Amino acid sequence: MAIGRSAVMAPVPSKLYSDDVSLLMVLLDTNPFFWSTASIPFSKFLSHVLAFLNSILLINQFNQVVVIATGCNSCNFIFDSSSVPANPNLENGRMPALCSNLLQKLEEFVTGDEKLSKEVLAAGIGSSLLSGSLSMALCYIQRVFRTGPLHPQPRILCLQGSPDGPEQYVAVMNAIFSAQRSMVPIDSCVLGAQHSAFLQQASYITGGVYLKPQQLDGLFQYLSTVFATDLHSRRFLQLPKPAGVDFRASCFCHKNTIDMGYICSVCLSIFCKHHKKCSTCGRKRQSSLEG
Amino acid sequence: MPQVKIIAKNFMDMVASLPAMKLDALYHNTFICEAILRSLPPLAKKYVLQMLYIDVPVTAKAMEEWVLADGFSKHRVAIDRLIQLRVFTETSDRKKETSYRLNPTFQTNLQKHLIYGGVLPREPMPSNITVRLPSLDDLEAYALVQWECFLLQLINSTQTEKLTNFSSSLMKVFQRGLLTQREKEAPRLTESGFQFLLMDTNAQLWYIMREYISNSEERGVDPADLISFLLELSFHVTGEAYNINTLTEFQRNTIKDLADLGLVKLQQGRKESWFIPTKLATNLSMSLSDTSSRKQGFVVVETNFRLYAYSSSKLHCEILRLFSRVEYQLPNLIVGAITKESLYNAFENGITAEQIISFLQQNAHPRVAERTPSVPENVTDQIRLWETDLNRVEMMPSHLYDEFPSRDVFDAACDYAREYGGLLWEDSKKMRLVVKAEIHLHMREYLRRPK
Repeated sequence: MAIGRSAVMAPVPSKLYSDDVSLLMVLLDTNPFFWSTASIPFSKFLSHVLAFLNSILLINQFNQVVVIATGCNSCNFIFDSSSVPANPNLENGRMPALCSNLLQKLEEFVTGDEKLSKEVLAAGIGSSLLSGSLSMALCYIQRVFRTGPLHPQPRILCLQGSPDGPEQYVAVMNAIFSAQRSMVPIDSCVLGAQHSAFLQQASYITGGVYLKPQQLDGLFQYLSTVFATDLHSRRFLQLPKPAGVDFRASCFCHKNTIDMGYICSVCLSIFCKHHKKCSTCGRKRQSSLEG
Repeated sequence: MPQVKIIAKNFMDMVASLPAMKLDALYHNTFICEAILRSLPPLAKKYVLQMLYIDVPVTAKAMEEWVLADGFSKHRVAIDRLIQLRVFTETSDRKKETSYRLNPTFQTNLQKHLIYGGVLPREPMPSNITVRLPSLDDLEAYALVQWECFLLQLINSTQTEKLTNFSSSLMKVFQRGLLTQREKEAPRLTESGFQFLLMDTNAQLWYIMREYISNSEERGVDPADLISFLLELSFHVTGEAYNINTLTEFQRNTIKDLADLGLVKLQQGRKESWFIPTKLATNLSMSLSDTSSRKQGFVVVETNFRLYAYSSSKLHCEILRLFSRVEYQLPNLIVGAITKESLYNAFENGITAEQIISFLQQNAHPRVAERTPSVPENVTDQIRLWETDLNRVEMMPSHLYDEFPSRDVFDAACDYAREYGGLLWEDSKKMRLVVKAEIHLHMREYLRRPK
């Protein structure tokens, strides 16, 4: 893949984009179940993030920021810096275009998400739909790739607070592998109390940065120090290294996180109990055991 | 007169060369802070962001720990640049440890920007006053036409029809270095003049702006004011109308010059008049000096060295004439051939093969631009070969020795010269040899030595 892309990039005679132009996809966790228990209020968190987004847009005029809200039942695009009207309506003089646009969309999204949760109460409460927003981000990036050889360098930043939802294991892993294939690093900033195994694996596999800030009061400093680094500069800077990665998987049958399990020898599906027939590919008799 | 080498350095080098006082004063303007930040190398941008909310000086040692061993040279470049632009101020404490902190004015301005977001330098005029605003395409076309007019006038100063309103003295300033200006002689393009014509629009614009700024003091304008106005202008929105009354007296004078260059378009309504920045203006502060302005190419080069240029522009024709033989001209097409003679002409004028090739590549017609290579390889190779043909002869200062008294002396002298690696040529029949000038002294001493 790497060779393929560089071969396409080579004949471009003069570079319109310098090395540090980036497309930053921010996945914003809006799960109310998490934010009601979090150590900093959502509004404060948001002000840190907005300042961070502003700073990304500030450092290069070609930088692009897209924000996707991750709710517990749905996810949606709430901000795209490339589609902000060039002439912001100045009715609200003091509020900059970025904030007002984003906040309005965010509010709409949160109320919409809340409505959905009343309808589907049975859904796994507590986790947010990370797999959905990851796939949306990757789809967006694919579209950018197809616009031609000149595109900003994409990366994904997950601002995740809620705990992992084991039922999303397969979908999240698929998203991670497709990100790896298209060489898109997934950075993760975990705001919750526990480490996230999903995001540890995501950052580990895609070569992104995983960080769990100690003090959320200084979130902006963490964001600007670590996550504002463009892919070009990452080659020269010391960035946090993964301390340890939780590689545990979820079983396909009950969606539980397991230490040991059975693996289908044909399709590599994982199960917590021995089955006569693999429910994924239909092949009989699996016997391998994962350590 | 020393030769002026045209280098399309960017705006920021000019800013960096301002005296410290002026530079500090410039940072009171938020747009300048923003433009400066954007012009920095990636690592330097990162450092500024990182230091934005740190109010105490950070030691140089601590900063060195931020980088990997590989990136140390980049780190040095970034820090040097930051200090040069006075974004970082250097302090040393008693233990002689250097530490850096952000320029406080710069810091507060950027902090404000992060919290309140970007603001426009001035508000565009409401659309009910400004009727018939040009579309973006029209505006770009206007800018290009204006720029071409200017270039044509620049190289063809003898032309009678006056195209722009520049005073002849200002025009002279622009032509300085590009044209030879001898008395009683038609001005001729100099070597750098040719190079100038082959540069892309942004680079040309930058060159002209640099001349314009460096000449500003003679016109009674403070260069710092001019730079700050130009940078501010580059943050206006392309295609929006801005009221001229919001400008100061000096800015109003400047904007007239800029309109001649195609940076802005001036329009007049019933009561008000306004200016509309074009792409040329908004590109001005861009740190990437090598951005092709993405205009459509027009040249097709065939493997038989024929050249088809789909253009009706006089300027394009003039440029092509620099290195090719223009055979005929149709309303929208210029047909020419790249010949050995035409190229020798170009080389004599100081244009290099690489410049010609990069011009052909950058301006390749969209149909051929998607092919690789966009200019046939046999043509590019031949252009390079013809250039190296001219460099076949190498000049070297040397000395000729003859009339040796005997063959022995001659042979010994040859051996001696060979030992020093300075023997260039020998003719044993007539007993003559040529040696490099640098060993002439040794040689003379050797020959004078009594045998």
